[in-house]
Amino acid sequence: MNREWNRRHFLYRSLVGAGGLALMDLLQPDALAAQAGPLAPRKPHHPAKAKSCIFLTMLGGVAQMDTFDPKPALEKFDNTVLDWSNEKRTDQPDLYAKPRLILKSPWKFAKYGQCGMDVSELFPHLATCVDDMTFVKTITGENGNHPAATFLMNTGLVLPGRPSVGAWVGYGLGTENQNLPGFVVLPDYRALPFSGSQQWGAGFLPASYQGTMMQWKGDPINDLRPAGDLTARDMQDQMRLLRDYNHAYLDGNFTNPDLQGRIDAYELAFRMQTEVPGVLDMAKENEATRKMYGIDEEETRSFGTRCLMARQLVEKGTRFVQLYTPSQSWDSHTDILKGHAKNAKEVDLPIAGLIKDLKQRNLLDSTLIVWMGEFGRTPDHPGDLRDKAGRDHNTKAMTMFFAGGGSKPGVTVGVTDELGWKAVENVYRMRDVHATILHLMGLNDLRLSHYHAGRNMRLTDTGGELIKGAVA
Amino acid sequence: MLRIGFLAAAVAMGPAWAAPEDAVFRDTIEPILKANCAACHSGAQAQGGLSVANLSDVLRGGKRGPALRPGKSSESLLVQFVRGEQNPRMPIGGKPLPDAMITTLASAIDSMAPAGEERPDTDHAKWVFSPAVAPKLPVTRNADRTANPIDSFVLAKLEGKGFAPAPPASKRALLRRVYADLIGLPPTETEARLFLEDAAPDAYEKLVDRLLGDRRYGERWARHWLDLVRFAESDGFAIDGERPTAWRYRDYVIRAFNNDKPYDVFIQEQLAGDELQRRPAVRGGAIENEGIVALGFLRMGPWERDANFDAQLRLDWLNEMAGTTTQAFLGLTVGCARCHDHKYDPIPQKDFYRMQAFFAATRIDERPMPHLESEGRLALRRTLRRLEDQLEEANGRVQAMETDLRAKLAGAKAPDSKPEADNLQRALADKENKSFTPEERKLHKDAVEQVQKITFEMTRFQPIAYSVNEVAPPAVMDVEPTFVLAGGERSAKGEMVEPGFPRRITGNSDAATIAYAGRYRSGRRRALAEWIASPSNPLTARVMVNRIWQHHFGDGIVRTPSDFGMNGDRPSHPELLDWLATQFVEKKWSIKAMHRLMLTSNTYRQSTRHPDAKRIADSDPDNRLLSRMNWVRIESEVLRDSILALSGSLNREAGGPGMFFGVKEEVARGFQMFKWYPSEDKAKLRRTIYAFQRRSLPMPLMEVFDAANMSESCSRRSVTTVAPQALTLLNGELTAVESGRFADRVIELTGADPALQIGKAFSLALLREPSGDEMQKARALYDNRGQREALARLATVIFNLNEFIYLE
Repeated sequence: MNREWNRRHFLYRSLVGAGGLALMDLLQPDALAAQAGPLAPRKPHHPAKAKSCIFLTMLGGVAQMDTFDPKPALEKFDNTVLDWSNEKRTDQPDLYAKPRLILKSPWKFAKYGQCGMDVSELFPHLATCVDDMTFVKTITGENGNHPAATFLMNTGLVLPGRPSVGAWVGYGLGTENQNLPGFVVLPDYRALPFSGSQQWGAGFLPASYQGTMMQWKGDPINDLRPAGDLTARDMQDQMRLLRDYNHAYLDGNFTNPDLQGRIDAYELAFRMQTEVPGVLDMAKENEATRKMYGIDEEETRSFGTRCLMARQLVEKGTRFVQLYTPSQSWDSHTDILKGHAKNAKEVDLPIAGLIKDLKQRNLLDSTLIVWMGEFGRTPDHPGDLRDKAGRDHNTKAMTMFFAGGGSKPGVTVGVTDELGWKAVENVYRMRDVHATILHLMGLNDLRLSHYHAGRNMRLTDTGGELIKGAVA
Repeated sequence: MLRIGFLAAAVAMGPAWAAPEDAVFRDTIEPILKANCAACHSGAQAQGGLSVANLSDVLRGGKRGPALRPGKSSESLLVQFVRGEQNPRMPIGGKPLPDAMITTLASAIDSMAPAGEERPDTDHAKWVFSPAVAPKLPVTRNADRTANPIDSFVLAKLEGKGFAPAPPASKRALLRRVYADLIGLPPTETEARLFLEDAAPDAYEKLVDRLLGDRRYGERWARHWLDLVRFAESDGFAIDGERPTAWRYRDYVIRAFNNDKPYDVFIQEQLAGDELQRRPAVRGGAIENEGIVALGFLRMGPWERDANFDAQLRLDWLNEMAGTTTQAFLGLTVGCARCHDHKYDPIPQKDFYRMQAFFAATRIDERPMPHLESEGRLALRRTLRRLEDQLEEANGRVQAMETDLRAKLAGAKAPDSKPEADNLQRALADKENKSFTPEERKLHKDAVEQVQKITFEMTRFQPIAYSVNEVAPPAVMDVEPTFVLAGGERSAKGEMVEPGFPRRITGNSDAATIAYAGRYRSGRRRALAEWIASPSNPLTARVMVNRIWQHHFGDGIVRTPSDFGMNGDRPSHPELLDWLATQFVEKKWSIKAMHRLMLTSNTYRQSTRHPDAKRIADSDPDNRLLSRMNWVRIESEVLRDSILALSGSLNREAGGPGMFFGVKEEVARGFQMFKWYPSEDKAKLRRTIYAFQRRSLPMPLMEVFDAANMSESCSRRSVTTVAPQALTLLNGELTAVESGRFADRVIELTGADPALQIGKAFSLALLREPSGDEMQKARALYDNRGQREALARLATVIFNLNEFIYLE
């Protein structure tokens, strides 16, 4: 009986090209319906516009006063010493042990769009998108160290071991396309994020929700193609035999429901083998699109290709995609002029391309873009390298932006002090960002919980505050 | 009823000032709050999440934590805010409350019975915090079905429901099960025959004894313990620096299991190996003190080597040690109590810090400790000598090369060049410098890297223990004091506390008695270790037998093995657990005795199939009553080791520094702080327990098949089924290479007959002959394929089969 069922269900076709796999027909709707697993799509807690999220992670920390939060006072105080003694600087004592000099922004700002948003020369392309963007200038952190702050940004806690935002979203909503992973991570292989996969781990959630790392060069997923020298026929024969043996083994063993689950997982794996290379097919994108993302320019190729992959994945129903710049890439303690210019150059055109491309495909409303680093940067520097000055870590203020997915376009939330050092009005924490992401995706951060180690755990612990001004 | 119990307890405690808290709140506190606070702090939009609508809301508090601490007005946020000790002064925007009103409020709060000291008792708490007493064996109707008392307890419950146990598992199923369970490898053909052809009534008992005596048993069971103690050989965090001699702790655990080290000693060595009274053994002139290595337990947590604050780093470490110790040995989660009184569990915040105080004198230390004979001292020394020779040679090569290069540089030097152009290193670093060919640069770089690689490797052979030490009088005036920290904040020092055991277990908050342990020692950890490892501790034995049970049966009697508290699972068979716990103590804490007891029960030897399974599943869907054996999926390590064993590739070398598995070039290079040099091919084929455990780079096969994440204690692995597992096991390098080797081995054993080959492949991997249908389908692989190719395809299929990965 099982064999008969197989014949009806699994039509084979040969796939020409890399690996040359023989795979079952993707068009069989039954095959999809049979996939009510941990990743099956689930109803949100409340109706929401955003179906997917693309999280653009600027590792190292971007200087707010050089990008989106202009501070004319820095000109006035440039190269002067400020008295910080009244401020408690609990998170980074060493930083302020010596006198420090204020550093004016090396970049000019101008107002853009109908909303009249301030953008510096660093982001000429993003400047053309500001009417679709929502800036929050008052995100505060808890820890001025890269790994801890990155954990906080990804998991809500400064320590390793907790589920990441992408895992929580998958846990809450499942994913739309059962032929692709629900949570895809696109790091930069020049320097992987600190602690690697723990940054996108499932923590105490079931492992099905962990991020799947994809590469933009070579095979996108580990072991997508056989390591050995196998032909299409080899793959086909193996799969058929495995399926037959496994189905025969089901008989009489119904006390183990995982046996069927594991058969299903193999079917999904085979479907991924066809689906995933298609997602990565840059060749099918036309010249105009490639240009939008800067695929053919050396500087923008890495981030641009990954932005385009993100769009393709979201288009196909992947729930959460997270991109990373190289580890510490934005970390300009010295020579910010060179460092920030290089980093902005690598991401400016690709992100603008992503926003415009999603918009022209009517996908921007259903896709939430989140752009942030693990913390902001200081308005001042230690003063011993005046000609190659930079900015240090700052957990007291950071600028981030949302675009699409039900965020409120063309507005700015929050005010920092006149130096851009500290958030002073409408101050928010990382967990508030998390609560807002979840809200825009239809999830209530207090209801999204998982019992672990004696209590119901949440991404936002005791709850985050919605960044109301950023929500349409 | 619970309420009455609480009041009775409060009265029995008897302090004159203790008053029923509800009445105090209603009569005095509530009117003040209603009049001054409720306008903002109530309803759905309660500010700061704090509602003052009733006592429980106030106790729960808002964003800042509980607003009121019964009995402690000065620690109550409510009072702090109205007094203006916290910003903003409350009521915000209004006039400060009159002093008299604040005084009334404060004294009312002080009159309340302190929370967290006594809580409503329940049957579960009563059971879990009372020492286990051997229960009477239950009477069963079908006593002939019991092989030992375990079966009586299980059968009694089944009979109570009108269920019968499942029939015994087949000899074959039992053979696969017990091999995977005890040594984590499939039996060889000879081993299989020895059992399958043994018709003696005690054939199975003999098999269990053989396996318990096999050194591969320790290599398997150490893994369970290493999961629990978050073992890793790197720091985690940004630098993720190597811990080059952490492997000694891993080998210590393997030896402990293999030598059946009594569990009480095992505990004491890991907590206080340096403070034990026993005289260390002196062998061959060297002091053998395993205890120093065993202390590695306290060091295994993540460590932020480049932390900004030493004080915060130390606090994190103290918290981590106190938390993991309590979880691993006592099966209680106390992490919540770090910041506040535990909402559900009877561990008040103060008790967390009293536990933490046992570690107040403890400092991290890499201690010189000669390699033990049991660690293979001679072999380690030989390897170190060999590495020293290699280093000399490698250094020589670099020097020779540099002499040539320097000559070349001097020859190419332009007459007017700056003096630093003479500097060879600078010239090599300068890509513009045209003095050398790309080949020369590469050769030089490789030679330098070789020196670095050997240097790294040598650090792993140093006679150093990754351990701890004490800072105690007379080195210092006194042991560093421990304070209760409000909200876990280092700056929010509260009451000073002495080391003490959880009040809920001992019944009092007295400071622990710390025996004198000698100069430069506080004796604190020893006091803790002795209390935990005592037969009268109600948790220690129960928690450990439950862990052993879980690994044999797939689930614990308590299914939350590190949470026996109020929020944990309730035991399915409390009497059985108590009986096992008393047996454990009676058998002198012998873990092997517990294995023997469990494995020789009929309950363990049942089939996974039950003729009445569908009916039973209605009332016992999770098989908590054990009417049949649970299905168990082999763990990631067992999976990899089994494939290597079947293909004949497994390298059985035991102990010593770990092996570095192969990783993708871009991954190895992707990390900045820590170079990853893959081991030689043969070393890469060692058992998985000997794979180097780097926190940021788990072995991909392990990661995808649910191995423990190394950052926190893992008491129970998840068993997930995801597509990347299929991709890895079907397409990955392990399968590709070992399928071919398996094919070679089968051909060598059987010759050229396909039927014999297929039969052999099945009997090696699945311990059975193929059915006619299976044979016919496997034969089809031979069409238009060479024999080796056909067999390799069959091997890949077998390694992926449900039947291979599940133990029935």
